[in-house]
Amino acid sequence: MERTNKTIALIIKLIFWALLIAFFVWAFANNMFSKIWEQPDTFLRLLGEHITIVLLSGAAAVLLAVPLGIFVTRPKFRKSEWLIVGIANLGQTIPSLAVLALAMGFLGIGISAAVVALFVYSLLPILQNTIAGLDSVDDNMIDAAKGMGLTNAQILWKIELPNALTSIIAGVRTALVINIGTAALAYLIGAGGLGVWIFTGIRLFDNAFLMSGAVPVTLLAIVIDYLFKWLQFALVPKGLRLARKAKNS
Amino acid sequence: MIHFNDVTKVYNGNVKAIENMNFTVEDGELVIMLGPSGCGKTTLLRMVNQLESITDGDIMLNGKSVRHSNKIEMRRNIGYVIQSNGLFPNMNIEDNAMIVPNLLGWDRKKMRDRFNMLMELVGLNPDEYRKRYPHELSGGQQQRVGVARALAADPPVMLMDEPFGALDPIIRTHLQEEFLQIQKELKKTILFVSHDIDEAVKMADKIALLKGGKMMQYAEPARMLNKPSNSFVAEFVGQDRVLKSMSLYTVKDLADALTLKPVLESPDSQNINENLSLRVAISKILNQEADQLIVENDNGTRKGSITLDLIEQFLHREIKESV
Repeated sequence: MERTNKTIALIIKLIFWALLIAFFVWAFANNMFSKIWEQPDTFLRLLGEHITIVLLSGAAAVLLAVPLGIFVTRPKFRKSEWLIVGIANLGQTIPSLAVLALAMGFLGIGISAAVVALFVYSLLPILQNTIAGLDSVDDNMIDAAKGMGLTNAQILWKIELPNALTSIIAGVRTALVINIGTAALAYLIGAGGLGVWIFTGIRLFDNAFLMSGAVPVTLLAIVIDYLFKWLQFALVPKGLRLARKAKNS
Repeated sequence: MIHFNDVTKVYNGNVKAIENMNFTVEDGELVIMLGPSGCGKTTLLRMVNQLESITDGDIMLNGKSVRHSNKIEMRRNIGYVIQSNGLFPNMNIEDNAMIVPNLLGWDRKKMRDRFNMLMELVGLNPDEYRKRYPHELSGGQQQRVGVARALAADPPVMLMDEPFGALDPIIRTHLQEEFLQIQKELKKTILFVSHDIDEAVKMADKIALLKGGKMMQYAEPARMLNKPSNSFVAEFVGQDRVLKSMSLYTVKDLADALTLKPVLESPDSQNINENLSLRVAISKILNQEADQLIVENDNGTRKGSITLDLIEQFLHREIKESV
C-alpha cells in the first residue's frame, strides 16, 4: 500500500517537473525572459523593492503577532483573545487590493503604504498559528513543569515556545509566501516591485515583460518556502522533529 | 512531615471540595489517598504544592506553612509525579530528568553523576537512554524517567498523582514493586493518590479514604480492611476485604506467630517459599488435592506445613491485634 502510494507520488512529481522544464525551455526559446538580460539594473531594482516590501512587512508582523499570540494565551488575558483575533481577522477578510488602497489613502503612494498594507495582511496567519501552537502544548506537561517549580517565564521559554515552534514557523511561512504574491500588487500604489513588469506586460500584451516579472515572483515564493522548511528543520528541537516523524510513519 | 490543619477548599463561593481536613503524613511514610472520583483526593494533593489554592486552614510542610512559602522555591523541594508522566518532548531524557537540578544551578559533573545514579535506581541504563527522546520510550520506561525526574534534586517530600494509573497491569505491578524497593532505601515522605484499593493495600503505610471532601478513615491498610470505621469504608474496600488483608502478610509472618504443622508426606502437596503472601498461599491450597502446603525457606530447608485451619487461626489473632 505504502509502496504504491510512494510510486504514485514519485510519478506525479516527475510529471510536474517535466512540465516545468518544458515550460522553461519553451519560454527561453521564445525569448520570454529577455527583459532580465536587456535591463539587468531595472530587474535588480524591482527585485530589491519586492523583497524589501515582503521582508519589512513580514518582520514587523512577526514582531507584533508572535508576542500578541503569547499575550492572549496567558490565562489572565485569555478573555482578550476574541477581540485581538477579531481585529486581525478584519485585516485578512478585506481583499488585499482594498487593504493596499486603504493604506494608500492614509500614507499616500510609495513603499511605506505597501509595507503597512502587507503587514496588516500577514498578522492573522502568524497570530493564529502562534495561538494554535501554544494551545496545542499538552496541559499535563505545563502542570508537571509548574509542579516542579519552573517560573512562568521558564515554562514559556523552555516548554511552551519550543513545542509551539513548528506551528509558529508554519504561520510565518504561509504569511510570507502569500505576501510575495500580494506584493506584486504594490505597483498599483506606486511602490514598485516586480509587479511593475507584470502589469506592463498585461497592458502591452507583451509576454516578455509579463514572464520576466511573473516567473521571478514565483521562484522567489518557492525559495522562501524552502528557506523556511530548512529553518523549521534547524530551529525546532530534534526530539519534536523525530516524534513527529515517528507519528506519521 | 506533611500536616493538614483544618484544610478547606471552596469553589465559586459555595461548592465545598474539601471540608476541614486534618491528618499528618509522618516523615518517611507513604500515605495513599483513596476514594471515588470527585472525592477531592487530587485537589488535596495539589494543594500541598500550591497548584490549587487553600480557601481556609493550612498545610504545614516540615513545619512551614505552604500558604506563606515562596511557591517556586517550595516546589523545587517537592518531587512531583503525575499519571501522564508529563515528560517534555523537546528535551532528551537526561535534560528531562535533570530539569530541577538545572534550575538550581548544579554543575555538569554533579548532574551527570546524579543522572547515572537515578537511572540505575529506576532500572534503566543511563548511557543507553541519555540522548534519547521521550517518544522513543514505552509507557513504563517513561514513567520510570518521571520518577527519576521527581527524585532528581533529592527532595524530602514527594507528591504522586496516580503515577502508575495509565500503565497496563503487568507493568504496573512491576513498577509498584520496584518503587517500594526504592522507597525502602530512600525513606521519602510521600503523599500518593490512587483509585485502586489493591495498590493502596500493597504500597501504603497508611491509607486515607476520602468521600465528598471528607475523611472517612485514616488508618494502616490492615486496620482499614479488618476494622472499617463505617459502611462506606467497608463497601469501598470490598466484600473480599479479609482476603485482601491476607496479601499484607507472608507465610513467614504466620510461621513467626504460630507453630507450623509437621510435614505429612503426600505427593499432592506443593512446596512454597516462606516469603509468599498468605493470599497466594490460600489460593494454592484451594487449588490442589492435599490440604497442606510445605513451607521452605530461601535455602530450600523445610520448615513445616500450613493448612487452612492454621491460616484461620492466624487471621483471627491479627484482627484482634489490629483493633
